[in-house]
Amino acid sequence: MTGTLAPAITCHDVTVKFGDFVALSDVNLSFERGLVHAVVGQNGAGKTTLARVAAGLIRPDSGRISIDGKPLALGNVRESRKAGVELVHQSFALPPSFAIAEAMEFGADRFGPAFSSRGLRKRWSAHLKSFGIAADLSARIRDLPIETQQSVEIARALVNDASILILDEPTAVLSPSGVEALFERVRGLKKNGITVILVLHKIREVLAIADTVSVLRGGRLIAAAVPAASLTPMDLADQIVGSETGVTDADDAAALVGAAPSRHAGMRAEARSAVPVLALSKVATAPDVDGPALADVTLRVHPGEIVGVAGVEGNGQKTLVRAIAGLTAARAGAIELTGLDVTGTDLGTRRRLGLSIIPFERNSEGLSLTSSLWENWSVKRLLADPLLTFIRPAALRSDSDEAMKRWDVRYRHAGQPAGSLSGGNAQKLVFSREVDDEARLVIAAQPTRGLDVGATAFVWQALRAARDRGAGVLLISSDLDELFDISDRLIVMLSGRIVADVVPPFSLAAVGAAMTGAGA
Amino acid sequence: MTDLIVAVLRSATPLIYVTMAGVIAQRAGIWHLGLEGLMIIGAAATIIGIVLTGSLLVALLVAAVFCVLASVLLWFAIERLKANPIIAGLGLTGLGIGGSTLAAQSIFGSQASISAPFGLPQLGESFGPFAALSVLVAAMPVTVVVMWFLLRRTRFGLQLAACGEHPFAARSAGVSPPRMRLVALGIGGLLAAAGGAELAAGGLQIFAQNMTAGRGFMAFAAVVFGAAHPIGSALAALFFSVVSALGIRAQLLFGNAVPPDLLLALPYLATVFGVWLSGRLRGGAAIPSAFGELRDY
Repeated sequence: MTGTLAPAITCHDVTVKFGDFVALSDVNLSFERGLVHAVVGQNGAGKTTLARVAAGLIRPDSGRISIDGKPLALGNVRESRKAGVELVHQSFALPPSFAIAEAMEFGADRFGPAFSSRGLRKRWSAHLKSFGIAADLSARIRDLPIETQQSVEIARALVNDASILILDEPTAVLSPSGVEALFERVRGLKKNGITVILVLHKIREVLAIADTVSVLRGGRLIAAAVPAASLTPMDLADQIVGSETGVTDADDAAALVGAAPSRHAGMRAEARSAVPVLALSKVATAPDVDGPALADVTLRVHPGEIVGVAGVEGNGQKTLVRAIAGLTAARAGAIELTGLDVTGTDLGTRRRLGLSIIPFERNSEGLSLTSSLWENWSVKRLLADPLLTFIRPAALRSDSDEAMKRWDVRYRHAGQPAGSLSGGNAQKLVFSREVDDEARLVIAAQPTRGLDVGATAFVWQALRAARDRGAGVLLISSDLDELFDISDRLIVMLSGRIVADVVPPFSLAAVGAAMTGAGA
Repeated sequence: MTDLIVAVLRSATPLIYVTMAGVIAQRAGIWHLGLEGLMIIGAAATIIGIVLTGSLLVALLVAAVFCVLASVLLWFAIERLKANPIIAGLGLTGLGIGGSTLAAQSIFGSQASISAPFGLPQLGESFGPFAALSVLVAAMPVTVVVMWFLLRRTRFGLQLAACGEHPFAARSAGVSPPRMRLVALGIGGLLAAAGGAELAAGGLQIFAQNMTAGRGFMAFAAVVFGAAHPIGSALAALFFSVVSALGIRAQLLFGNAVPPDLLLALPYLATVFGVWLSGRLRGGAAIPSAFGELRDY
């Protein structure tokens, strides 16, 4: 193509280490100006690290980067921004209490240092309008719907004249129609001459938008800016996953990389007749910081079924889990576990009835990172005992050893802190504690977030095994491929309500429409 | 009535200066529990400086230097030694109370208090009933407005708030949270020095052991009550002072009918009430801070 121009960004032998862990290893990569480049790979492949190196947030241990042929001072955000590189983070990075206009201003340098509050809105209204953001400029970031938040983030990244925009996993939080809108915007940016680098992990999305594809696996570059037109989904899946993961099921493999819709289906008919392990009838709660209040939520989970909960994040999923756990009081309605009314009872009572929870935040709600593995494993048992029960650490240690071995947790000794485990092993530890024979209802909230392919497949198998044992599973996820692959039935949440209840075969279009309220 | 206003202004001014020091630290994400220590360092340095050098200007300069140095020390403990900001702040308070007493005793021997021959300049006759108040009282409202402008109407203020609320967002925009916190604590040192100087040299012209008597903590409470908004927090501090002044009035009026200890406790009770109320009003969620811990992910 335009061979005389220097590439927009070039990495020479970029290596990044975190302690012993090599996040990026001798990456050589160069992106041509004015195109849309996708960087793909599974969790932990080094995609985000690469993006952060370019943005100046991480200083590589060795290697060089040049922008438009000029060397870039590394590890300095100001220098990267001056060179025209901007990064939008996966979990957005704007102070939640800021008004939209303030969020624009604090990272900009094109105006004077002081402003009046009306002047501030005036400064940014045209800029925001060019991004199609219609929200009031004094609205706070935390009150915005997630798709508007992303638009604001992108607008924030382009306050100074950026020439290279990196979006880190921008589709992870979006509904299918939100993804379409985002891609439309990306095409618009491309038309304006901006080089867009998209960090993605779904093949379907990559092939829909990217001009070139680069693949990272385990910190190594597998493919460098290959024209997307020359790739098939199967090639790409092989390159992303590699051969050594042990994922044998073809549908699982496809779901892992977002290559094709799954054909898994099917709750067995006899399950419907049994007493539901979880029954919510017309439950309503008060609004809290985690999202909208539940309104009129009626939901049943039967033994031996996996019910998936789809929905754009922040539509009441967290409140739903808290309500089932008894951490948020139900203002109206009734909650039954295994046929017994538990409305108004505490979490301890509910756990004794067989409720177990894989929480949203593995590292803060699921585990105490500074406590040892055996302590983390033992809490469930200790909490079930009376307050003055004598604790015998040696016995708990050996029991936890046995359980962790059974769950294939890779660790050195039971006394090491939980924070020293990798994400996948930490999640296995949570499973080893929560999912046992007494579990009647397993609530799995984003159980595979941040896990690599092998650990994800392991979690899916564990949830299926729990179902086959006769437990009910409620799986909350923002990954539709995951939901479609392992759910027997799907509900869709929107603004604290259940807006759809669908059975296989699932349709991406129908579920996507329900997620945004378009299907009603 | 004028008496009451004069009394309120006199007791509120040092408190409000120190509150402003707490506000700017809070916006940068630091729960500043060293305010008490800074305030007493400012008070001691002002009086000792006047006595030793005979120059008010030098004394104020000494107070400013000591308070800024102490603030930098706090910053060093927090940012470089990774100390918990709350514990480090309490340490600074201990250092201030102990250090000021030690300094006074080693220079002047064991005296209950040290008197200075003169204090801060007064407003003078043309201000009528306010003539006896110091110039720092008159400068106080200006300071509050300047702080409001700095924190709410400049990009510096936004960047500071970003550092406090979401350090990673600040870092992603090329703003260095440690550097911003240094600036915030430094400015806070100056403000606390002004508060200490006004307390010791504004009216009484003495320094006594432990003379701040918890005012630094009251200022911290005002920061929380006012959600770290400069004007809101200044009003909270003013409210505490009004309660305190009313308490003294009540003591004079009712004599022994009400236990005097209870009346002395009034401002502190008001503080507790204020913090409780601010929690109720805001659901405890709005204060811009990384909740004591400095996050930087």
